[in-house]
Amino acid sequence: MQFAPLPYLDPGSGSFLIQLLFAALAGLSVAIYSSWNRIKGWFGIKSKPKDDEDNDDDEAK
Amino acid sequence: MTTKPNNGQAKQSRGQLSASFRDPNGFLFSQGGVLYRQVNHKYEREYARLMESGLYAKLVKAGLLIPHQEVDQVHPELGRRAAEKDTNFKIIQPERVSFISYPYEWSFGQLKDAALATLSIQRRALKLDMSLKDASAYNIQFVRGKATLIDTLSFEIYKEGQPWVAYRQFCQHFLAPLALMALKDIRLNQLLRVYIDGVPLDLASGLLPGTTRLNFGLATHIHLHAGAQKRYAGEEIRSRGGTMSKPALLALIDSLDSTVRKLEWKPGGTEWGNYYDITNYSDAAFEHKKELIRAWAERVKPAMTWDLGGNTGVFSRVAGEKSSFVASFDIDPTAVEINYRQVKEEKSENLLPLLLDLTNPSPAIGWANRERDSFGERGPADMMLALAVIHHLAISNNVPLPQLADFFAETGKWLIIEFVPKTDSQVKKLLASREDIFPNYTRAGFEAAFRERFKFHEAVEVRESERTLYLMETI
Repeated sequence: MQFAPLPYLDPGSGSFLIQLLFAALAGLSVAIYSSWNRIKGWFGIKSKPKDDEDNDDDEAK
Repeated sequence: MTTKPNNGQAKQSRGQLSASFRDPNGFLFSQGGVLYRQVNHKYEREYARLMESGLYAKLVKAGLLIPHQEVDQVHPELGRRAAEKDTNFKIIQPERVSFISYPYEWSFGQLKDAALATLSIQRRALKLDMSLKDASAYNIQFVRGKATLIDTLSFEIYKEGQPWVAYRQFCQHFLAPLALMALKDIRLNQLLRVYIDGVPLDLASGLLPGTTRLNFGLATHIHLHAGAQKRYAGEEIRSRGGTMSKPALLALIDSLDSTVRKLEWKPGGTEWGNYYDITNYSDAAFEHKKELIRAWAERVKPAMTWDLGGNTGVFSRVAGEKSSFVASFDIDPTAVEINYRQVKEEKSENLLPLLLDLTNPSPAIGWANRERDSFGERGPADMMLALAVIHHLAISNNVPLPQLADFFAETGKWLIIEFVPKTDSQVKKLLASREDIFPNYTRAGFEAAFRERFKFHEAVEVRESERTLYLMETI
């Protein structure tokens, strides 16, 4: 698949590739994090629930 | 009085304001002093999504997007053009921005807040399946003291799997200059004056200290990014299962956000940051000056005041009590940063601190020198303050007094100016290391030069000082 449609701002091939690399790294770290949690779970250690970030109306200060 | 209609965005080309010619989805035009934006048919679907998804309301409520009204009228001069191409879908009237400023005039904190606002907008847009299609620093303006997106047509409909098209632009317009300012030299924001589309990443990568390669955010978004740009320039990208999921895209935005947040610059150490502590003003002189400015501003009731050499904005604030809007310019990045932090703390809505070298003010830049207005083109101001600044222009910068009078007369209507004589300790300091080639730099010489261009309304000697404050009006 080719990325389409091309926007009027040329994002540059290198800039796309860096984002894909970042995505791969992010995916990897999520995978490691979740398996780490699973391992911790075997020992009865629970992760703290993450704060709800949906309520972001006051986010910008 | 109302704010001048031509403040910023003044230049028109083929019926359009020349700052907006790049966008095929619409353009800005001015009619009867009111600013409008045409939305083209091409952008109908995106505009509908912006308005109907609740994104517009959400962003306006958070002060992140300029509010607008939809209007019926069609620009008569554009009638022919619009009819020919049948491009006109809607005309909107955005709220007018009091003073258009540019990133090379912003302090570190202002550029950082503009960057964080852009990321915050992108995060909110992605939640509602839209995405920013550009991340230009010029699309952000300070409205009521807050970094606000002024280009309503910046959104596109998000397509699953697609990376952020404005990623490179964000890095060039925001991340690279912020990193250079924080980690190399605060003055490097001036690169933005040369590079209108942001600091080239290979340049930023070369200038940043080597240790920044150990910072994950800067290593990825600047150093690796610069390398990839060079290596893959002009190559067509085909993705084989390598698309960017939405969570990954949100993680990218978060990474940019935390990289920007971690960049800090502590003002201090430059020339005039603590100017008010080291001058020869007594408290009485300081208070007297404030009193005079307050009274004269009350008399003039300016819509737009420019404080030229405003330092941290002490007198800008006094003038601001009686002005609709004050732009407070100073050459010192520390003073502008302190001023901006104070604006945020006070939640001041009518004061904008900006970085400006009066001896070399912002030029007009961009395509045909028409995209970004020069300093002078964004005027004239209704009232100017020039306090403790004339000796710097006349003595340090060798500008003859008649030329100074011309400059002020062309920049605004009313002028509150302080004459600082040669006997003043600050002037003595300037003359200590050089020959005195300024025989005309006397109160009489000053008055003679300025009478050519101004009508004098008041001249008051400031208590417990050798300085004189004048209120004058351009002839």
